[in-house]
Amino acid sequence: MIDMTILAYCIPGLLLVLTLILSSRNRFMGNDAVLNTFSIIHAFYLLGLTIFIMFTADLPVYFMDGRYFAIDRLSLYEILIAAIVFCLSAIYARGYIRDLLNTGEIARNNTGLFYGAFNMLFTVIVLSFLANNVALYWIFLELTTLFSALLIVILKARENITASLKYVFIASSAMLFSFVGIIILYALNLDLVNGGVLNWDTLLEIAPSLPGTAFGVAFILLFIGFGAKSGLVPFHTWLPIAHSRAPSVVSALLSGVLLNIGIYGIMRLNAVATQTTVGDNLKVFLIVAGILSILVPAFCLAVRTDTKKFIAFSSIEHMGLLVLGIGLSSPAVLFWVLFHKLGHSLSKVLLFFSAGIFHRQYESNKYFQIKNAFKLQPLASWGLILGSLSVLGVPLFPIFLSKLNILIGLADFSVAGLVIVLLLLFIIASSFGYYLVRAFSNREEEAELKAYNTPKSMKWPIAFIFVILLGLGLYMPGGLADWLNGIVSDLGFLG
Amino acid sequence: MIDTIIFSDIIHGLFVLILGTAALIITQRSLSSLFNIYAVQSFILAVMAIVLFIENGTLNLLFIALLTLAVKTIFIPLFLHRVLKRMPVKRDLQFSFLSPASSIIISTILLFVVYLFFTNIAGEVFNDSLILLGGVIGISLILMGMMVIFSRKRVITKTIGYLTMENGVLLFSLFMAEMPFIIEFLIVIDLLMILVLSAVLAFGIDSSLEEFHKKLNRLGIWVED
Repeated sequence: MIDMTILAYCIPGLLLVLTLILSSRNRFMGNDAVLNTFSIIHAFYLLGLTIFIMFTADLPVYFMDGRYFAIDRLSLYEILIAAIVFCLSAIYARGYIRDLLNTGEIARNNTGLFYGAFNMLFTVIVLSFLANNVALYWIFLELTTLFSALLIVILKARENITASLKYVFIASSAMLFSFVGIIILYALNLDLVNGGVLNWDTLLEIAPSLPGTAFGVAFILLFIGFGAKSGLVPFHTWLPIAHSRAPSVVSALLSGVLLNIGIYGIMRLNAVATQTTVGDNLKVFLIVAGILSILVPAFCLAVRTDTKKFIAFSSIEHMGLLVLGIGLSSPAVLFWVLFHKLGHSLSKVLLFFSAGIFHRQYESNKYFQIKNAFKLQPLASWGLILGSLSVLGVPLFPIFLSKLNILIGLADFSVAGLVIVLLLLFIIASSFGYYLVRAFSNREEEAELKAYNTPKSMKWPIAFIFVILLGLGLYMPGGLADWLNGIVSDLGFLG
Repeated sequence: MIDTIIFSDIIHGLFVLILGTAALIITQRSLSSLFNIYAVQSFILAVMAIVLFIENGTLNLLFIALLTLAVKTIFIPLFLHRVLKRMPVKRDLQFSFLSPASSIIISTILLFVVYLFFTNIAGEVFNDSLILLGGVIGISLILMGMMVIFSRKRVITKTIGYLTMENGVLLFSLFMAEMPFIIEFLIVIDLLMILVLSAVLAFGIDSSLEEFHKKLNRLGIWVED
């Protein structure tokens, strides 16, 4: 059963693309309802498959002779987050994309391209989590850039093309540095292991015998590419523009899933690094990089006028927090880093979905265009407000717990660092307050805007995220906690 | 097997040629000659892989050489020429941040910095002088490609910069450790996909046809700030 798993994961996406290519002249396949239904089924199928493997398989499982693919707790957890986000996005896209098609913002004949890229992005993301080989992971990471760039450019405005190109060039160039890192990593263990390996699990085993300085060089080179993919400072410049230009459903995917993949790579890499002789230096490197990624958004948020750009900057901050937590590399902090990922993905999806409804209502992402929001779009307004509270880490939301525990971990490491981060987080929270107050205090009764009739498919995902977020904040299922503890010990951190 | 002295002489000569093509890519204004220079650079890399194959006898190197020859010296330049034929621009005259002369000076400085870095910091890994030189020139080529990406205005020229970076990675991997062939192959596929995407997008941005811009800007509501 297990040998077919990889195939089971990638068949639907490939099948759809094949059908789309073969039937490019067929009207039926250009039908957005058909394609959307397929995407929803695809997403739920993969969610079901992932949950099924979680309960039945004896982990970790390796595939092929070279162990090119593997399933372990960490990859399943990441796929689970991705699958949840994709399920929600596929449902949301039903109403949202139809609306974009009706207003002509996406050309009818590009429907197939959109859904093809959407499903392939999902497939490639899953494969990047399943890849056990660093080079293979690198290739899938590159492919995610490709398909997400296609999804950004689906709105044919000049700004979208620029945003997409900026993303492709920054991410791919940075990824080439990563590849140099991979080559060095390979050269390093040519003598250690017969033939040389790049498998995550073998690297973890041979980590103590890797030469320190050279591994440090490889680590930093790899970090450049993975960091660029997750929008860490100083490679973050593509992120705000790409997130704000993309259709909201794509922004949600970018922020909720795509950024996580780079962080996943850094997490695996750090597990190897802590066992080498330069582990302590790299730890400081990651912590500094994390703080830097909190610092830049802290000073950028207050002056933003575009809701989606605002949310995008907050994503940079959260990626910084995650890298900071990974750098601390204590078992307790890593546990909460993993939990933070889940909370952050859901909150960002909520925010971008709400921003998408606002964009349909006011035909703009600017805060000063938002008028009578509570009367016209009550659900989206609450989505934006509760999503912001969740992202800030207000109690009762899951991010409260994770943020608190990461900060406690930081206090053990350095009090000065904690003071700086707390100060930055305070600035960020103030900026959020400032933005929301300005957005929601606009009351121009005479404007007489007609309420945008939000389709049900756009409302349900938002309502559903409310429920999960509050649920996770109040009660963490025992199974989830065990699972996360399992991941931490898999990575070689004994709790 | 070739005589070791001759072998190292050939490799050194090829290194010089590669640096020469890199310098031309940084300064060249005409797009079609840029593509040709790229083809020549890839050809030199293929020759280098063949020379290394004759010396080492690793079959992997021969495959890499053939792949480079087929894709990078023939297919990619032909594709780019075809794209260029349909584009209204033929030259990339604008340089942002750096003029051609200062680019050359900076790339020379980069070469020295990379050399110093490799000999001092990472010296423990690179014990052979030829491997060291290959690594240095590979990394320098990557940095020069990056310089092309941010100092040129046209997207199509930026694409050439990216391709040059990738050539640098190939050069680096030839001397450091050849990756399994399947991975090299997948990278080339990935490169092709990125190339096609950016060329298609570049067509939208680089062409100065008024009609095309009007068509784009009609979707005005997404176009803010």
